Amino acid sequence: MKRILLLSISFLLAVGTAWAQRTVSGRVTSDSDGSGIPGVNVILKGTTTGTTSDLDGNYRVSVPEEGGTLVFSFIGLARQEVEIGSRSVVDVAMSEDVETLGEVIVTAQGISREKQALGYSVANVGAENLEQRSEGDIARVLNGKASGVQIQQQSGMSGSGTSIIIRGLSSFSGSNQPMFIVDGVIFDGGTNAQGSFVDGNNGSSRFLDIDPNNIESINVLKGLAATTLYGTPGRNGVILITTKSGSSKAAKKKTEITVTSSLFFNEIASMADYQDDYGGGFDQSFGWFFSNWGPSFSEGGPAGWANQSAIRNVNGVPMLNHPYATASPATGMPQAFPEFTNSEGNPVDYEWRPYNSVPDFFRRGSINSNSVNVRGTSDDGNYTYNASFGNLNDEGFTPGNTLTRNTFSVGGRAKLSNNFTIRGTMNYTNTDFITPPVAASYGSNVGGQNASIFGNLFYTPRNIDLMGLPFQNPITGESTYYRQNNSIQHPLWTVNNAKNIQATNRVFGGMAALYAINENLNVSFDYSYDTYSENNTNYANKGGKTGSQANRSGVYQTWNNTNTVQNYNAVINGNYSIGSDLDVTFAAGAQARSDMYDRNGVASTGQQVFNVIRHTNFAQQNEIQYFQERNILGIYGQAEVGYKKFAYLTLAGRNDWVSNLSEENRSIFYPSASVSFLPFSAIAALGDISAIDLFKVRVGYGTSANFPTGYPIASTLSLQTQYFQDRSGTDVVINTTGNVLGNSALLPESMGEVEIGFEIAALNNRLTADFSVYNRTTTNLLVNRPLDPSTGFTTTQTNVGEIETKGAEVDLGYDWFRNSNGFSWNTSINWFRANAVVNDLGLDTDIVAYAGFSNQGNAAIVGEPLNTMIGTAIDRDEAGNLKVNASGSYVVKTGNNIIGDATPDFTSNIINTLSYKGVSLNILFNWVQGGDIYSQTVQTLLGRGVVNQEGIDRANSFILPGVNPSGETNTKQINNSTYYFSNVLYGPNELGVYDATVYRLQELSLTYRLPSAILESTPFGNASVTFTGNNLWFHTPNIPSVTNFDPNVAGLGIGNGAGWEYLNGPSSRRYGFSIKASF
Amino acid sequence: MLAVVVIVASCDVTELDLADNPNALSPDQASPDFFLNAIQVDFARSIVEPFGRTGAQLTRIDYMSGRDYTNAYSPASQDGRWRSAYQRMMMDIETMYKLTTGDAGLTKHTGMAQVMQAYTLMTLVDFYGDVPYSEAFAGEDGNLNPGVDSGADVYAAAIGLLDAAIANFEADALAEPQYDFYYDGDWGKWIKAANTIKMKAYMTTRLVDGSAVASFNAIVASGNYITSNADDMQFRYGTNEIQPDTRHSRYASTYTTTGGGRYTSNSLMYYMQGNNPELGSFNPSRYDPRILFYFYRQVSGTPGIDAPADEEVLECGLQNAPTHYDGYVFCGAPQGYWGRDHGNDNGIPPDGFLRTLEGVYPAGGALDDFSFDAQINGGGNGGAGVTPVMLASWAQFMIAETQMVAGDVAGAKASMDAAIALSMDKVTNFFPRTARFEWIFGTGANPSDPTSNGPILGLLSDYIGAFNSDLTAEWDAAGTAGKWDILGMQYYVAMYGNGIDAYNFYRRTGYPTTLQPNIEPDPGGFIRSFYYAANAANTNQNITQKSGVDVQVFWDTNPASPGFPAAN
Repeated sequence: MKRILLLSISFLLAVGTAWAQRTVSGRVTSDSDGSGIPGVNVILKGTTTGTTSDLDGNYRVSVPEEGGTLVFSFIGLARQEVEIGSRSVVDVAMSEDVETLGEVIVTAQGISREKQALGYSVANVGAENLEQRSEGDIARVLNGKASGVQIQQQSGMSGSGTSIIIRGLSSFSGSNQPMFIVDGVIFDGGTNAQGSFVDGNNGSSRFLDIDPNNIESINVLKGLAATTLYGTPGRNGVILITTKSGSSKAAKKKTEITVTSSLFFNEIASMADYQDDYGGGFDQSFGWFFSNWGPSFSEGGPAGWANQSAIRNVNGVPMLNHPYATASPATGMPQAFPEFTNSEGNPVDYEWRPYNSVPDFFRRGSINSNSVNVRGTSDDGNYTYNASFGNLNDEGFTPGNTLTRNTFSVGGRAKLSNNFTIRGTMNYTNTDFITPPVAASYGSNVGGQNASIFGNLFYTPRNIDLMGLPFQNPITGESTYYRQNNSIQHPLWTVNNAKNIQATNRVFGGMAALYAINENLNVSFDYSYDTYSENNTNYANKGGKTGSQANRSGVYQTWNNTNTVQNYNAVINGNYSIGSDLDVTFAAGAQARSDMYDRNGVASTGQQVFNVIRHTNFAQQNEIQYFQERNILGIYGQAEVGYKKFAYLTLAGRNDWVSNLSEENRSIFYPSASVSFLPFSAIAALGDISAIDLFKVRVGYGTSANFPTGYPIASTLSLQTQYFQDRSGTDVVINTTGNVLGNSALLPESMGEVEIGFEIAALNNRLTADFSVYNRTTTNLLVNRPLDPSTGFTTTQTNVGEIETKGAEVDLGYDWFRNSNGFSWNTSINWFRANAVVNDLGLDTDIVAYAGFSNQGNAAIVGEPLNTMIGTAIDRDEAGNLKVNASGSYVVKTGNNIIGDATPDFTSNIINTLSYKGVSLNILFNWVQGGDIYSQTVQTLLGRGVVNQEGIDRANSFILPGVNPSGETNTKQINNSTYYFSNVLYGPNELGVYDATVYRLQELSLTYRLPSAILESTPFGNASVTFTGNNLWFHTPNIPSVTNFDPNVAGLGIGNGAGWEYLNGPSSRRYGFSIKASF
Repeated sequence: MLAVVVIVASCDVTELDLADNPNALSPDQASPDFFLNAIQVDFARSIVEPFGRTGAQLTRIDYMSGRDYTNAYSPASQDGRWRSAYQRMMMDIETMYKLTTGDAGLTKHTGMAQVMQAYTLMTLVDFYGDVPYSEAFAGEDGNLNPGVDSGADVYAAAIGLLDAAIANFEADALAEPQYDFYYDGDWGKWIKAANTIKMKAYMTTRLVDGSAVASFNAIVASGNYITSNADDMQFRYGTNEIQPDTRHSRYASTYTTTGGGRYTSNSLMYYMQGNNPELGSFNPSRYDPRILFYFYRQVSGTPGIDAPADEEVLECGLQNAPTHYDGYVFCGAPQGYWGRDHGNDNGIPPDGFLRTLEGVYPAGGALDDFSFDAQINGGGNGGAGVTPVMLASWAQFMIAETQMVAGDVAGAKASMDAAIALSMDKVTNFFPRTARFEWIFGTGANPSDPTSNGPILGLLSDYIGAFNSDLTAEWDAAGTAGKWDILGMQYYVAMYGNGIDAYNFYRRTGYPTTLQPNIEPDPGGFIRSFYYAANAANTNQNITQKSGVDVQVFWDTNPASPGFPAAN
């Protein structure tokens, strides 16, 4: 009986156990878009019982009657444990794995490392912050999203260049632009401007060839400790781009197709607030002048038009003689436009009133962007592939300016059974940038040899009907405009008759083979190739009215730039554990890199038949040719030791050999070392502080070198075949000594950087903080040192002195609300400052002007910040009083006076992300404090009298504060135009310098994700619609607000100059909609 | 791994000897002819022309913009010519010497370069004072901060170069230059030019060198100097507009599609008109016919002067002259001679087809034949003008100066007359005159109506004769200072096109005292030397920028600025 009972009990128990089982079902969804996630492991905790979710994310699993915990896991998503309780349905929304611990980061040379092991700072920006944006330029999209990265556009023109400076300047003659690596391919991000800033330097920055919509993520390696392995090109930081094609991340489904389609609008953002009280002339007298200091548009009063003999009253309407009828006959205009002379032979009327000329000149451009991405994976995940196509049509707000881009990209990875892994990408891009010419102008026509669309535009006198006055002589085709000797080129003529075009075809890609020798050791070899063929065209029909005689005769230049970067890299990677406490990883590699730049073309002048743009239609031809080649060989190694997952030491080093220095100076070795330490993990007692999720301290030291480009050690002789002609018209050939002194003792520039930082995550990862401070010193600076021409040379490249950059970066994030299905709100702030100071310039000199003009530009001066601006100043007496001359204007002090510092005090970005159910709002606010800018636009708008500065009545006189030539307080009155024209516009440069502090609503995006309930009956896995705006609002507190000037402009182009603007172009405001769907 | 290295090593990417620049020639490929071609063109275009223009601007031969002498010419404004002088022309010369001297035996190449280098060195001293020479051109030897030599030493070196040049011209050459743009291989004329430039050197330094006048007179006595217009040292330009632009720079900047680019000097035009307001009869006293060759009028009357005022194109025509302009021309000269007053820095009104342009001589522009057509590029003689370096007339003026200094007033007058005759002859025959001009001056038929004949005005020779007799009367009526003023003014008129020696004469003698003053009543002291170029002062430790423009060059022992010269 007892046995039977026992058996019965055991049977009952067994049955009971069986009876106590129940089934739980549910759906696993993505918290970002609500879509079901297939393949998620669902396991009962503590058992091997489990299942995986199906294609729609549904699962069903047997669990005990009581209690139990389900564990949901999937690579790339945060693991979740959910207590079942008494529920029978357990739905789970899974989020991307944002946990800091264990995160793997791609570092230099593609080496993946745990983030906690890194002894330096790395910024990461994900696709959600890059795609569906109104800017097609990846750098501009990146603006504000990573600390320590300064992005400056050349102008708001579509396709214009963009400068990226990471952690401030570390060199003033070498490039400070970062290295680009796209899917392991060394990618040239350079800017091939079509000429100098004086004569026009349009040209795109070649990272424009990347479609931001095809980017999976961007890692920014900032400090030298992070980039040592890359060698010299990594010295300015590295932008590591992983495209969707290059990503090894497995697709969520077998095949996923994502389509994005966008429509944006593009407007001028910096339109001045023109006044409507006064028109063209000077001293309140009418004239067909450049300036707007003429009479009033009202009839009465001392400045009224009634006092003007040139303006007659026709039934109460003030009328002038039409300027095309009264122009000098030598211009051909009265003859070409008989319609402006009436039957009695008198000029027809032209109304004296303000015209809305400049605002009407610009247009609202539209931007169409479409992209398709196909991603797939094999069942076992061993084969993945991706293909993308993107198309961008960006119409600038300036007539004649467009950017068109088509990108194709394919990539894939195969994990073979024989321990080989092969991956590869191939990209083709076609980018077509078209713009009217833009060149530096100083408020009176263009400054250099060519034309500029903006050279005469912004200060159009208010009484000039820019859009209504015919711009082209119907007989000759030449430009016509209001000035009586026709010496201003009509901006509409420029739009219709002059263009700069850069049409680029680019192919880049790479292949890598990895062989796993065993589970600890692998070798890889990769080859990457990046080549573009940039076809430049620059033409102007004959009949222009500015620039050189050659430009007026018609010019046509066509040339091709072929740039090729080849890279071979072989590396062996190892990963061993020694005992249970020590982890050792190492890598050793060799790299060969070749850069080749080849320019060939023809420049023609002397157009014969108007508007025929073929070289055969031009009288003279000249050659365009330039070639540059440089090879760098390097070997490198890195070793990392980790102790108990709380202390890490990394040592790395690289040696490079370069081809353009003398044999004894061509080799340089640079080491780095970094430490990462997690004290809370190390000290168990501290580990109990539950509020702290992560605390990491890091210290890094890195070095790098900068090699010169070109051929700095060679002495040259230049030859010209068309220097002069003898009396028979035969060209005279000359040769002359080269102006560059070759320096065979030239050494590489070397730089070292110490970086200290800590990272913290607290309150269940609600609060994150990352602080870095660094100190970078560059010695043996490569300097294009200007020489006194009496040495026989004007410049030489040499090594001098030292500059030191101190900087700090702070990244803070806080989740105010965190509710995956309800309301969540995150604020993140990044803040940085970088201040480079010149400590030493060697024995020979205390100033080197390195950008702009030699007497008006940026200069390195011992003891002063880099980016110091020099120019003419107001002269001061010994007591510091401003000197005023006998006519009441400031005395100009020539020479190299310090008039500003273009480096901002700090740059800060505040990003707020709010979401509620399917709606999310992202606001990026940008605050740049300080930094000076010399603005020719502001000077010209004020100096030409087309705007009224707030609170200043132009009828009143000025007395400039200061002392007169006899040393007494100045009492000489000058009128408004003398102040603005002779002092602000054409006086000391100092008066054109403004504090460039700017507050900007950099980016705003509002996304609505369609709920899955709506999508269920459609083929779409998910779909969303986004409104995006870029540069929607800005405010500059210290620049006259009537000018509405936007200091986000690089007047000297993409280089090391900063703080100068020469009527180079306004900024743009963009906004529109984007739809994204995947199925 | 090894295989990989082998693959890499076999590629071009591992080549490490790529230091030679494929974009330029290497110095060992230089040709002495090609050097000399560059030197000759640069000397005229980049040295004599810009310095000559600046000298003329200060002496009112040309128009100067700048109310304040301290700031009228910034250091940076001197960069181009400093670079042209040292890095281009003289560095080419120094490099060429290595290919032409010694066994190379290219004595003519060497001699030509020595003459041009001597003139350039003297000019640099005249404008800047102490300048680098003995330590210059040594960048390749590591001297990146050449010190300056005293002006006196540089002058001595320049005279040495001229002597060496003369010896080279007398010597046989293994080969003659490909081009001689100055004398087309006439070495006797080169010797005359070298001697005349030596005369200029002695004349310039006569205040500090007691033997200078004697040395000067020794050359005059030899007769081996520039005595006829056929001996003149000048550079002739072409008419090609672009690629290359071979036109005279005065022409290129004046004859444009949008009209005149540079203003002319009211002061000089008014003086040449005879300074007589009664011009209606066109028979003024001392009317200088060269005015029709120097200047081209696009209109026949000047607004606000002798035509209706027009504030849009000549605002000052409605204004009164400032008080310190009492007795001087203001705003414009009558009859369409419409330039600018000394120092006027106003903005530019749309007057490009109205204002006076540079004429036939020396710019190669249009002859003023009273047609009053607006001119654009291609007009007149297309820019085939000259840059005068040293002329026969100037030699006579220098002789006149020595005679005035010696108290030989009659001799001075005779030399001045000879100088004027040479200048009149050169200028009025510079280009074939237009048919309309010949008709107006009674030596041709009316080109628009060939049946109508007879002179409209008198013969040109009659005007020249009247000018000479009027000038003689003026001379005779003047005291010594007045005679210096006349000599100075006539010298300046003849120097139209190159004012280097005018600027020197002005600082050396203080004459003329009658020049139009700066429109600014208090323009600061006159420029006694220029700031060093910014590209020298800012880069060369051994050149310290001057405290001001009142620093006097070594040969200028006259009283300090302000106060000297009198007209300011």
